[in-house]
Amino acid sequence: MKLNVPASAGLAARLIVGSVLVYAGATKAAGPSEEFALVIGAYDIMSKEMVQTAAVFLPWVELLIGWSLILGFRLRESAIAAGALFAAFLFALITVKAKGIQLPNCGCFGDAIHFTPLQATLFDTALAALCFAAWKAAPGLSLDSWTEGGYTARTNGKR
Amino acid sequence: MIFFAMDRLPRVIVSAFLVLAACAASFAVARGAHKPFSSDAPAYRKLGPEDAKVVIVEFSDFQCPACKYAEPPMRAILKLYEGKVKLIFKHYPLERMHQFARAGAVAAECAGKQGKFWEYHHELYDRQEEWTNDKAEEMLASYAKTLKLDSAAWLACRKDPAVNEAVNADQKDGNNAWVGSTPTFFINGKRYVGAMQLAERGGPFIEKELKK
Repeated sequence: MKLNVPASAGLAARLIVGSVLVYAGATKAAGPSEEFALVIGAYDIMSKEMVQTAAVFLPWVELLIGWSLILGFRLRESAIAAGALFAAFLFALITVKAKGIQLPNCGCFGDAIHFTPLQATLFDTALAALCFAAWKAAPGLSLDSWTEGGYTARTNGKR
Repeated sequence: MIFFAMDRLPRVIVSAFLVLAACAASFAVARGAHKPFSSDAPAYRKLGPEDAKVVIVEFSDFQCPACKYAEPPMRAILKLYEGKVKLIFKHYPLERMHQFARAGAVAAECAGKQGKFWEYHHELYDRQEEWTNDKAEEMLASYAKTLKLDSAAWLACRKDPAVNEAVNADQKDGNNAWVGSTPTFFINGKRYVGAMQLAERGGPFIEKELKK
């Protein structure tokens, strides 16, 4: 079955996912990394040494992917990266559930918004679906279109 | 072809620059919400010498289990570095999650006005499961009695709006300090969140500060 996603739907999808990632990344990058480190540590999926590094590094990755999606820069790669980020987060949530760990909150938005693990799972799944739409749709209004003069040469004008 | 490549490259560079600039701008906007905070507190909420080389500011919630877990490492630190460390306690009741946290904070504050803040503080953490329920009022009053507080003055103090205001002021300081979880400790300004960070990294940091 061939699934066609209109460019306007793709644009809406990437604006939603991008905005969520920018908000999540900015609040965590600007806030204290120790707060985020506490939450990442609670997931118990990486060594203690890595936790602090990840707490500093991850918000910037979210920011970069978020703005790339909003502005439409390296769109396909950004959509894949965002999807991978959400998949990794879903995996972490499942791991936590399997281990029976009680999380203080998901850590998605730093201190700004607190989601329960169930809410975070549903939200994450919806965003992953939007990433697929952003990946599938033609770039439309984007820096990629400007750079390549329309649809990307690499895809021969197709998605 | 060369012209096309030349034309495309500057556009890619400009695009990449735009993305990076947007990242930096959103970070700067979020950072703008960062405000200075006061680490001061009334004398009865301070422990240790005034001129201590190491100052620990603790934002804590009496109903928070994680704050209770942080008590043993904190008490160990205070014992180990007695006379060298000053602790300042700031209220940060997480009222969305802990419905009795403010009552605990106000009760401790009123015990403090009678010079028994730390004794009451210890009661609240040591007996956390006992009072964080419908028996809160009864239990809080019983601790006041155990500590031989002036009951009438303690009860009157709990109704005083100024006491609630003091708790609010601490909460505001916590918000300005971006306290998101309790307990959060600032050791000479460096942040440690939770019992584990305090025990594992706070101790060595204090050692380092004392050697300066």
